[in-house]
Amino acid sequence: MLFDELVLTIMKAVNHQRTVSSPFHLIKGKKSGQTLQDIGYFHLYPYFSVLPRLEKAAYDQTVQRFYEQGLLVEGEENIHLTAKAMALQTPVPLLNGWKYRGNEAVFFQRLSLVIQTFSHVSQGIRIFDPVQTAEDIQSWVKSYLRAIRFREPSVYADFNAELITTFKAIQATDQQKLMLMQRLSGYGLSGMTWKQIAGVHGIQPIDAQLQTVEVLHGWLEVIEQQRPPLLSLLAEGLVQQSALTETAKRTKSLFENGHSLEEIAAIRRLKTSTIEDHFVELAMNEPAFDHSSFLTNEILKEIVAVSKAQKTKRLRDIKQKIPQASYFQIRLALAIKEEQQ
Amino acid sequence: MNLDDLLFTTYGFASFRPGQREVIEAVLEGQDVIALLPTGMGKSLCYQLPAHQLRGSVVIVSPLLSLMQDQVSQLKKMGEKSVVAINSFMKSEDKAKVWKHLSSYRFIFISPEMLTQDFVKRQLQRIQVSLLVADEAHCISQWGFDFRPDYLRIAEVIPLLGHPQVLALTATATPKVTSEIKKYLAIENPFVYQHPMDRPNISYDVRKFKTQDEKTDWLVDFVTNFEGPGIVYAGTRKKSEHLAALLTEAGLAASYYHGGMEHQDRIFVQQQFQNGELQWVCSTNAFGMGVHIANIRHVIHFQMPTSVEGYVQEVGRAGRDGEPALATLLYADGDEALVESLLIDELPTEHEIYTVHKNGIQASSLVEQGIIRETAFRVISYWLNQLGVEGTLQQIGKMQSEKLKQAAKMRGLIVGGRCIRDYLLECFNQQTDRKPANCCSFEGVDYTVYRKRILKTTPDTLTSWEARIQALMPMKNG
Repeated sequence: MLFDELVLTIMKAVNHQRTVSSPFHLIKGKKSGQTLQDIGYFHLYPYFSVLPRLEKAAYDQTVQRFYEQGLLVEGEENIHLTAKAMALQTPVPLLNGWKYRGNEAVFFQRLSLVIQTFSHVSQGIRIFDPVQTAEDIQSWVKSYLRAIRFREPSVYADFNAELITTFKAIQATDQQKLMLMQRLSGYGLSGMTWKQIAGVHGIQPIDAQLQTVEVLHGWLEVIEQQRPPLLSLLAEGLVQQSALTETAKRTKSLFENGHSLEEIAAIRRLKTSTIEDHFVELAMNEPAFDHSSFLTNEILKEIVAVSKAQKTKRLRDIKQKIPQASYFQIRLALAIKEEQQ
Repeated sequence: MNLDDLLFTTYGFASFRPGQREVIEAVLEGQDVIALLPTGMGKSLCYQLPAHQLRGSVVIVSPLLSLMQDQVSQLKKMGEKSVVAINSFMKSEDKAKVWKHLSSYRFIFISPEMLTQDFVKRQLQRIQVSLLVADEAHCISQWGFDFRPDYLRIAEVIPLLGHPQVLALTATATPKVTSEIKKYLAIENPFVYQHPMDRPNISYDVRKFKTQDEKTDWLVDFVTNFEGPGIVYAGTRKKSEHLAALLTEAGLAASYYHGGMEHQDRIFVQQQFQNGELQWVCSTNAFGMGVHIANIRHVIHFQMPTSVEGYVQEVGRAGRDGEPALATLLYADGDEALVESLLIDELPTEHEIYTVHKNGIQASSLVEQGIIRETAFRVISYWLNQLGVEGTLQQIGKMQSEKLKQAAKMRGLIVGGRCIRDYLLECFNQQTDRKPANCCSFEGVDYTVYRKRILKTTPDTLTSWEARIQALMPMKNG
């Protein structure tokens, strides 16, 4: 998936309902209430935080291009895609940003240092400049290598075999897979910069970055399914056990201990609106979330019905039709998973 | 054990490089030492080797995070395991671990602003510090191109640590800076080792042009004719990218390097240069630290550098193997204006001064967020503390005129109409009576000593991911 395709895919999902800059915050992984809620409302899980270092200028260039290509109507605050844009097909992404939350970068850092070590040591070189300079990555990799007894030739061969088998199984194109491999270094062979990779493949650096994130997400998925011993250990601790933010987790445990929303706000010395955000997050992520203390089934059904009939997820539109519902209730109702309703 | 044996058994080197023995002997005799050693002469060995003889830890004050990281990795590469780097960007749980085991480290690298914190001082008081090293000691000079205010406060730590010996190291120091080092580190009778600044294997070439385009044409022509490896100092990030694109277009293995690039990409460029995959790197002055390549043949300044000290440091990266190397400086009419605007950009802006002032203690987080530059932040907070807002603004004004003076000195090298080597040495109060045959463009440069470009076509066979895995992790039967 190319960067422009990513932006277009998100824009299609939130067309007419969110601002032109909202996809930027999603791609960058902004942890604001609005962005987090939208992920649930619009099913944007794959795209969350896939390019944490995305610069606004790069995003704006894409928007500008969309205007020029007649995909996006100019001069409107909300996204307004043209029929031409709606007719464009975008590829199905391999991304799973909500699940991996940037941890694919840590996986890559570990991997690149492990491969660099294997590459040198297997060719008799014991001293080299580590390609990862962060102290925490270095010490993690050191204990990993010790744990797997990396000096044994059979371990080297096993690692190599796991690498090839799982890499083959990723649903990405061979070209994409090559891009990721070009970010790795070994004895006498350096990694390539984004600019260099982009040049080789005739794309933009940002596209190359996105393509490798896709490969990494696809790869972690394969590793989770196939459970190869060495690579599973390499990915240890990187797959989120819970999709909740830390702060929402604290709210959840107070709630489960019988505290009300207002009590939680008082205990945690946070605004009630913040605690409300947490509950919306809970509703979005926890299949077992019990909404009964905030919302009767009647109101829930009513909100969902209006949202569907009017094809809108804008709070103001729904509030106009159901004035007795609070904004918090509307947000909760929209966040609750369909299968629970 | 004599020093040669110690050197061999510790690091496996058969002999010292010039100056190292003199400095190490003085340190082991218990003297305070100021050592002025040119870049690439193995300054670090001057504290590394004594550390194996002295009791207690060696504390090294290092001005920049990136430099510190590089020093640590070089030490580890030489087999030193007992090394730690302490800086304000560390996680607190990591710091706690370090404090607990502090006395077990042979080498403790620390940033100057950490060193002067009360808590850190107390931690260091608990252990035995045998040697305090001020690395890049010219940072102590408030008029210098690298001023780090916290260096001025190193002296207050010395008595607290029970007066360890002091070793001040720098590659570039004018006599004025040397006396400032003495004064501010409060070392009364140091042994001063001054290595001759002159690098006889480097020839200096200044080339003058009418326009920027002429410069560019000359550069492309030159690099297509001569063999690297070489560095082209471009002045700005944008220019470095632009020149690298031109060189790539001309069929050369070239890339750019600057501080705005992602960290991983910067490492890749260094790797490629080190592996010989790149012939030319077009860069800002960010490139050099962490580059340990002995056979750099050319350093080309596409823009006039901002100071003679900076110029000498950058040029000093060429020809560390002792073989002939060429330092070329390209000048076009009106380049001074660009240099002056660069200089002013380097200084803290009024906006930065007010921002730091407004944010008080929290201002350091602005550095992490990239709102305030690290170097600017240090300078501003020091002067704000000393002089208040108005005084700081004035001080920055003074720094500006001092920097303009330095630029004028640099210009003197270009328009001076005399031997460049003589001019440079004079700037450091030195002279030489033995000029090399291939001295400088004033005396005439003989280009035949530099190898002509060898046309190689290295076919890139690694066009599939399978091939690349095989190259990274070869399997005999694979």
